[in-house]
Amino acid sequence: MKKILWSLLIVLFLVFCVTANSLAQKEVLHLYTAFDTEEAKLYIEAFEEETGIDVQWVRMSSGEVLARIEAEASNPQASVWHAGSNTSHINAASKGLLEPYKPNTDFELPDLFHADDWAWLGFYSGAIGFVTNTEFLEENNMEPPTSWANLLHPKLKQNVAMAYPYTSGTAYTTYATLVQMLGLEKALDWWEDFDQHSIFQYTKSGTACIGMVGLGEVAVGISFSHDILAKGVKAGYPVVMTFPEEGTGYEIGGLSLIKGAPEAELGKKFIDWCYTVDAQNLFQEYNRLPVNPEATVAEGSVTLEDVKLIDYDHILAGESKDDWVEAWRDRIGK
Amino acid sequence: MMNSSRNRQFHEIAGQLRLIWKEPILFVFIILIFYFLFTFVAYPLFQVIKYSIFIDGQWDFSNYLAIFSKRYYFQPFINSIILGICTATIGTIAGFIFAYALTRTPLPFKSFFRLTATFPIISPPFVVALAAILLFGRAGALTPWLKNIIGNYSVYGLGGLILVETIAYSPTAFMVLYGILEAIDPSLEEASMDLGAARIKIFSSVTLPLATPGIASAWLLVFIQSMADFGNPMVISGNYRVLSVQAFLQITGMYDLPRGSTLAILLLVPTLIAFFVQKYWVSRKSYVTVTGKPTGATIKNLEWYIKLPVYGACLLYAGIVILFYGTIVYGSFQTLWGVNPTLTLQNYVEMFEVGKDYLIDSITLSTIATPITGIVGIFISFLIIRKKFIGRGLMEFISMLTFAVPGTVVGIGYILAFNQESVVMPVVLTGTAWIIILLLVFRNMPVGIRSGIAALQQIDPAIEEASTDLGADSNTTFRKITLPMIAPAFFSGLAYSFVKAMTAISAIIFVVSGQWNLITVAILGFVDNTQYAHAAAMSMLLIVIVLIALGLIQFIVGKIGKGVRTTEILG
Repeated sequence: MKKILWSLLIVLFLVFCVTANSLAQKEVLHLYTAFDTEEAKLYIEAFEEETGIDVQWVRMSSGEVLARIEAEASNPQASVWHAGSNTSHINAASKGLLEPYKPNTDFELPDLFHADDWAWLGFYSGAIGFVTNTEFLEENNMEPPTSWANLLHPKLKQNVAMAYPYTSGTAYTTYATLVQMLGLEKALDWWEDFDQHSIFQYTKSGTACIGMVGLGEVAVGISFSHDILAKGVKAGYPVVMTFPEEGTGYEIGGLSLIKGAPEAELGKKFIDWCYTVDAQNLFQEYNRLPVNPEATVAEGSVTLEDVKLIDYDHILAGESKDDWVEAWRDRIGK
Repeated sequence: MMNSSRNRQFHEIAGQLRLIWKEPILFVFIILIFYFLFTFVAYPLFQVIKYSIFIDGQWDFSNYLAIFSKRYYFQPFINSIILGICTATIGTIAGFIFAYALTRTPLPFKSFFRLTATFPIISPPFVVALAAILLFGRAGALTPWLKNIIGNYSVYGLGGLILVETIAYSPTAFMVLYGILEAIDPSLEEASMDLGAARIKIFSSVTLPLATPGIASAWLLVFIQSMADFGNPMVISGNYRVLSVQAFLQITGMYDLPRGSTLAILLLVPTLIAFFVQKYWVSRKSYVTVTGKPTGATIKNLEWYIKLPVYGACLLYAGIVILFYGTIVYGSFQTLWGVNPTLTLQNYVEMFEVGKDYLIDSITLSTIATPITGIVGIFISFLIIRKKFIGRGLMEFISMLTFAVPGTVVGIGYILAFNQESVVMPVVLTGTAWIIILLLVFRNMPVGIRSGIAALQQIDPAIEEASTDLGADSNTTFRKITLPMIAPAFFSGLAYSFVKAMTAISAIIFVVSGQWNLITVAILGFVDNTQYAHAAAMSMLLIVIVLIALGLIQFIVGKIGKGVRTTEILG
């Protein structure tokens, strides 16, 4: 019994040391990022190097970030929500989880890239596109899909993958694009056919389908152009990117200060930094489209001027999310 | 009549109170354990339940109504049950065959087979699903070959799930059954044979009944693991939607805490039923076979018609396990799986650059959590089996709860419970190392308790009673008699909880923070991203670390635990 007591004490002491050690550090910014680990590391380490501020960060999907912020609302643990589709940020803002902040930038931030009250901000953009396996195309002597209707091609039976519209900002943007093009009822009618005929599988994250297409698990995926370029084409997969000629939707990458942020000043510094030319130039590596006009756009990137866009209403999409998702689930049953 | 039974009750309670007086240390420990169990097991769950039935502080069952009226909520419930039953049954059979072969037959290369049977335990479960896709996915390495044999198939769905979950969770069944079968004295079977019983008769009327509590435990453990698993379904379930994933998606994808909690509570009901059925069944029969008398030799010679199928099954299973993990090893060296097969070390270099911090955190936190888990676990199992005190059943029930509840819900419960000060926990734990350590401890403890209970149930209380009769008090008896006898269970519990701490994902993903993050979270990110080669490389590293740690524990046991067989650590 004594031995047990002693070992318990020793263990408790160890834990105490660990905690004390973690409390001793200072000038720490806590943030949640929706970028993938490797990509997040690129930006955050650049910021740390430039400012000397230590950043403690966790990578989660934007849905997880929102769930986390909501659960922690009475005692926020992080100051900044970095990246993730702005629809999720708008959704969070409508729940009162974000703190308005007008960043100091050396250029005028377009209206599209911030809330009226500055509760959420945008710092990059990208359009929805199709990614297709070229080996599949050769085998079947097909052209890659260039319209939404092409996705119902007989050869694409059970051969399309994308994320659930309720778990992924990418997939929700796709769905909201169709709703805004066709109206809710017609969009659901179309989706029902699409689901029955073409969908092989829904994934949780919006980018998972790119690798699946690359590996030949499915023929076609739907994702953001920058992700398709960075994770499909650049990664060396045999894939090609196309866009629907009827028009496509696009996302604004969100960035916001969390309400009750424990390190609000550091958070604001980070947000300001995200708009600098140097920071925005880093987007080249991942083919994201910078919002700072001075920043360089990566070679081979598709800018919003290159593709036909619909008049995508981000505020409507963000605020209608719960209703539209429920309608989708009621109809599709998944 | 009424009066006398009341009298007896009164005397019993008075007796228990006197016990407290006689053993104050024991009493303090019981109180402490109750406090921890209530705070870190019951209270987070209470928060989850509260979220499912209260809306804005009012009773409201609309969450439950919604779940029973919408097929996209209800279908996953049925799917999960089917999956759980299939996986538990096949997994238990596989585990039993292996345990039988290793304890009752002269199977050659026993240590090799023991290693393959337990190997999946030391890897994060979703690694098996990853290997299954690399092998049998639409573009998998073995797909053209398999298509020639069985025609068109899809690894995404129920079939694929049963395959990967059986591989991932049958080791649990094996561990339980190996311990039980090894503890059953073979001389009972020899006696039966000497009396002229046929092999099949011995098996069905001696071996099997004696192993029944073990089989029940094994089935229950695998069933619950399968129901709560979300790593594998996330990767390979395709359109076969299971409840754990739906609860997870509901919470992480739709930020819908109330409905997610409600789905999780729906998931909890069958697992609790399983728990009660098993408990009722086991407690009705007594299987004391360790008597303190010397035991005889093991059965050596078996007929070919027993050996052949048993050996065949072992070989097949070992082959599958090797194939799956071999794929992971091979995949970790490929430049881009399925596209560019050039072998490279680049994955390891990149993985180490990205994952170094995660790795250090994982090792630190697991190393702290493991001894706490082991010591508290074995102590609780001792209290439950050997001591009589008020609330003993409650203690067992609460201590088992975290195991029966899906990790996602425990994680959410921890956030809801510990991101603010409360009566039971006056400090905020969210964001600290404590919350991860506590979650690891209370999540992994049930296995330690369960193996402790199984071990104690097999030991005749008379051995301890003898010690007490000779004048030793509770502490001395526990230390000198009980502890050495349950040491194998203790160390296997210790090893198991370290492995589980290193490979935990479902609950932990909610309590990691910028400061304290874990390697499994990083791996899931890679899998999520279809960066299979990176995920494979990082999984390999994790497996190697766990193996080193197990070797270390084995070494320590060899130094201090006389008579504890090293095989007990993995087995």
